Amino acid sequence: MVVLRDGMCPGLSEELVVALRAADITTVEDLVSSDTEDLAQKCSVSYKALLAIRRVLLAQHTAFPVSGADLYEDLLSSTAILSTGNPSLDKLLDSGLYTGELTELAGGPGSGKTQVCFGVAVNISYQLKQSVIYVDSTGGLSASRLLQMLQAKSCNIEEQMEALQRIQVFPVFDIFSLLGCLHHFRCVGLQQASAGGGSVKAVIVDSVSAVISPILGGKQNEGMSMMMQVAGLLKTIAKDFNVAVLVTNTVTRDGNGQLKAGMGQTWSHVPRIRILLQRLERPGSTCSSVRTATLAKSSRQPCHLKEEFDLQCWGRSEEQLYGMSGKRKLENTEPS
Amino acid sequence: MQRDVSSYAIAPSVKVKLLNAGFLSAADLCDLRPLQLSKEACISQEEAVEVLQAVRCEPGQERAAAGRLTALELLGREQELGTIVTFCSALDMALGGGMPVGKTTEVCGAPGVGKTQLCIQLSVDVQIPACFGGLGGKSLYIDTEGSFLVQRAVDLAQAAVEHCGLLAEDSEQQEALKVFTVETILSNLFLVRCHDYVELLAETYLLADFLAQHPGVRLVVIDSIAFSFRHDFEDLSQRTRLLNGLAQRLIQMATNHNVAVILTNQMTTKVWSGQSKLVPALGESWGHAATQRLILHWEGTHRLASLYKSPSQREATVPYQITGQGFRDAPPSDQPKASDDPSVRQSGSLSKRPRTEEDQSTRT
Repeated sequence: MVVLRDGMCPGLSEELVVALRAADITTVEDLVSSDTEDLAQKCSVSYKALLAIRRVLLAQHTAFPVSGADLYEDLLSSTAILSTGNPSLDKLLDSGLYTGELTELAGGPGSGKTQVCFGVAVNISYQLKQSVIYVDSTGGLSASRLLQMLQAKSCNIEEQMEALQRIQVFPVFDIFSLLGCLHHFRCVGLQQASAGGGSVKAVIVDSVSAVISPILGGKQNEGMSMMMQVAGLLKTIAKDFNVAVLVTNTVTRDGNGQLKAGMGQTWSHVPRIRILLQRLERPGSTCSSVRTATLAKSSRQPCHLKEEFDLQCWGRSEEQLYGMSGKRKLENTEPS
Repeated sequence: MQRDVSSYAIAPSVKVKLLNAGFLSAADLCDLRPLQLSKEACISQEEAVEVLQAVRCEPGQERAAAGRLTALELLGREQELGTIVTFCSALDMALGGGMPVGKTTEVCGAPGVGKTQLCIQLSVDVQIPACFGGLGGKSLYIDTEGSFLVQRAVDLAQAAVEHCGLLAEDSEQQEALKVFTVETILSNLFLVRCHDYVELLAETYLLADFLAQHPGVRLVVIDSIAFSFRHDFEDLSQRTRLLNGLAQRLIQMATNHNVAVILTNQMTTKVWSGQSKLVPALGESWGHAATQRLILHWEGTHRLASLYKSPSQREATVPYQITGQGFRDAPPSDQPKASDDPSVRQSGSLSKRPRTEEDQSTRT
């Protein structure tokens, strides 16, 4: 529903807009769906002029169909698969994150969603030398942890700094800032938004549920609509700019006590791929970094595939670099 | 590609009127005057002015891009911000130097394990002058349980001043010591007492103004969040929404004003399939709210702190103890006999008996 304004197209003058409004035609839809001959008589305008205006408005506001063959060609030439840096996760995802798609990581607190996001960002920025946009809504982004992961991959400080510069961070803490940020990406394009050099290949939003859960439910009636606006913007960004979008979400338990992703039924249809992360309940060790990933929704693989992986794999090569002398002390006191 | 009117921060009733009048995107509103808009959409003039301000095309987009940084710049900023020591060196090492500034940390624990002691210790430690390795900042203590005791804060402050006095070597540190006294420590500790959840929520809304007026504040402690939200709340989903909104406001404040936010939480028992376990209260979704989570628990008669969730540190469990001088490292000879030594006597353990593993198993 677009309101008619003068200057929208040649021939649509102020007087014509006023005359149309007197005849109860306020939007483009009204104009296009009404009888042109009748309208021309009511507003005392030539039939041809009104027909020309109608044609121009239709051309401006219609969606154009694309043939399936063209779409397939397009997809083959533009889709890329981005490895996550962890072979078990790649196996679950059918070799990695696909551009043009929305992938979701769901898990409870401390299950490793943010760590996986870090690993993906570091892998794309260091290994693939492409830019990453990281939208952080929980304050969980720790640049020192990104540096640790990079230090495990390379000892060259130049390369580490370059890789860090390719990760752009946008802190947003409420739904309106998130919508503004996503809309900004859509309008100016990701290249300009990132200004980092290299093309942007992934947009990571950690986490979507933190900004949406305060407005969902209760007597509020706007929550669902804002959630779907976010979904629409993320999907458009993924499609138009050929990037892989990775979002994180919480989990809840359904009637049978099974884990499922948060934010309700409506959101559950939004991502193309969904992975559930869980801690491994091993009776011996209490502080373990092993997690299980279950494929909950996928358009390419059979569901309920499970893989185990270690959160330390992104920072593995140099154990000493994992920070603190305290860690070394604990290692020494372990009976060997 | 214009932004929908419904995605702006405008009151829902005004949005409905705008949509009914046919204004669907920002482009429709851009070139209107407030008087015109109020006539066409049947809203008051003040509302029309607010709508036009919210929708003004340029600043909206720049605001979204204003906060952005590269990870490299963020690294520099994190290193500048520093951490708040807890005086327990094992815990400081597990946390990567201490409590991080600019993030929210949640401290959970059973009654009597030392959450309030840790909070009071941090309120004193944040004021250690920069030349001794501290932050030299002020602190705000929001107390909902009434467990803040000024006498205890005085004890801890005296111990901290003595500790720094022993360390002082050069003239700069001697100068700083003259200002770092028990009186100044107490005068830089702002205390707010909230009696129910409404007061607590109101206080968090006012926090932004308070932090703007007192830019030296580096620590905000809320002791405890759980207390006001666990009583008298019938609608649990409303509680979850309020808590999530609160968590987002706190992390926004922590990032914008460079303060460390410490939240205290209580423990509850979760029973499932014949087992029971102590888990942090306020539900599973609250577990996502804080950036870091520290769980304090008993192991026999020893106190342990576990780092359960952190974006940058590895999970670890370290022992600690509470002495007359405050939060300290556990003695290296970690035996049950250590509790006979009167100087190591754990304060507050008379009325709050530690829950042991045997108790839990006999109960279930």
